[in-house]
Amino acid sequence: MLKLSAVCLKLGEKTVLNDISFALHNNEFIGVIGPNGAGKSSLLRVVQRSLTANSGQIMLKQRALAQYKTAELARTLAVVSQNPIPLFALTVEQVATMGLLPHKSWFEVNHSQDQHQVSQALNRVGLADKASQLIDTLSGGELQRLYIARALVQRPALLLLDEPTNHLDVQYQHQVLELVRALGIPALACLHDLNLAAMYCDKILLLHQGQQYAFGTPEQVLTTELLQPVFGLACEVTTHVLLRKQQVTFLPSQTGALC
Amino acid sequence: MLKRHYKLAMWLSTALLVLSMLISLSIGSVSITLLDTLTVLAGQAGPSSLAQTIILQIRLPRLLCAVLVGAGLAISGAILQNATRNPLADPYLFGLMAGAGLGATLVSVVLPAHIISMALGAFVGALFAVVLVFAVCAGQHWRKVEYTLLAGVAVSFMLSAVSSFVLYFAEPFAANRIMFWLMGSLSRTDWFSVLLLSPVVLLVLVLALALRRQLDALLLSDESARTLGVNTQTLRLVLLLATALLTACIVSQCGGIAFVGLMVPHIVRHYFGVTSVRLLLGSVLVGALFMVWVDNLARTVLPQQEIPLGVITSLAGSVFFLLIMRRQRL
Repeated sequence: MLKLSAVCLKLGEKTVLNDISFALHNNEFIGVIGPNGAGKSSLLRVVQRSLTANSGQIMLKQRALAQYKTAELARTLAVVSQNPIPLFALTVEQVATMGLLPHKSWFEVNHSQDQHQVSQALNRVGLADKASQLIDTLSGGELQRLYIARALVQRPALLLLDEPTNHLDVQYQHQVLELVRALGIPALACLHDLNLAAMYCDKILLLHQGQQYAFGTPEQVLTTELLQPVFGLACEVTTHVLLRKQQVTFLPSQTGALC
Repeated sequence: MLKRHYKLAMWLSTALLVLSMLISLSIGSVSITLLDTLTVLAGQAGPSSLAQTIILQIRLPRLLCAVLVGAGLAISGAILQNATRNPLADPYLFGLMAGAGLGATLVSVVLPAHIISMALGAFVGALFAVVLVFAVCAGQHWRKVEYTLLAGVAVSFMLSAVSSFVLYFAEPFAANRIMFWLMGSLSRTDWFSVLLLSPVVLLVLVLALALRRQLDALLLSDESARTLGVNTQTLRLVLLLATALLTACIVSQCGGIAFVGLMVPHIVRHYFGVTSVRLLLGSVLVGALFMVWVDNLARTVLPQQEIPLGVITSLAGSVFFLLIMRRQRL
């Protein structure tokens, strides 16, 4: 689905991404983790073509990313970024309908099947009953689900999510990631919470100062040996008794202070 | 806004516009009955030739200009507010008015005042201001809409300063002439103005309606719009150029009419809805309706004298706007 080979990105003199290579296969959910400034969001921007890599190759569905026309890329790849709030109050349905844009020509009107598709997407994210509600009345979790609905209307082959659980309560964090998993669309997401990444991601890409520090399953990547030098804190990795998933606990630099 | 409210607002404002246009044709220094007005419009014989001349040669082109100017300014404002994500954007955003003022001033001071020269001067001046703003913003600055807005403000002040300088050394009556013209009037419009304005207003409206989805997408953020396949820079450039051309044409025919392009879109959003189709069609109707009544007031309130349109639009518009803001939390 998506394959990056030796991708490098420089912004001015600064190397933001260096030699990033990994592949995302069908129905995989890959989480990108790393401390602030590691290059997580920049990586997503390179894949969504907001930034252009200085070297390396990005293949999307066996075609070079650069070959995609703008609208064609929007039909293949949908992005759920940090929720922008519109200047003037739009309804939930109006925002979800925006997902039709890449599929429509200038003078083409929306048909009944388009309307049906929007309703289905809202239904899938559990917002069907709020279709006519203004979006500034939604909670953070609902807003995030709305942008996922908009992405669904785009009918993408790949979903990119930029910190989809940021500023959300715990229940919404799980709700959003469960939803992403349930969609069955391959996804690449930047995540801050390592435990959420362990719980929901098939594979994890660990970035450190723009370098690909590790890539593999959560069991392979979420280890004290790899996490401690990257995050600069001592940590303990255990396996959750019920979920059988990794659980990371970072320890304060002066543990005695908490005792 | 519910769908039925939108439809009701559309029907109501269309009916009010048609009725207002008929009333507008019959009122003035010579009063003509509505029946006679309808007879003249239907092309039937009956009313005196004076009534026919007044309606067909004087009032009708002026009325159609009022409709086109009101609609044109309102859709320009609506497009610019969405395209720049700035609720205070108006058609004179890029120093258009200052450019038109400078053009008119130079023509008026250098050449003997003649309305066609002044209109042409204003048109060229307005376009010069736009070119100046776009030249400043070319390249990197064009990526950020804030730079464009600031460049517009700077160019506006610069051209106004040049106008003031020229007027300071000009003959005493030049300032009066320019001032009255800049405050806006439809008194010099004729069938030529209608022929000039109608295709431009129609073209910009059709273009904006064709780009309605892209305009809606811009409401969120540039990055969000880009992920939907919108080339935000090209889209903004096309829309800004189209509205600048439209506003330059309007300014050349009737001077500066403040507040319509700023205020009408906000009223329309409240009663019609915020998505582009509703906003644009609503702006056409409400902008035209507003301008028809402003012109009616301008030519009937004082006997033998016209009030500049800009004075009425600014006064009536701001009071109306403040009232709505207070009552409806716009």
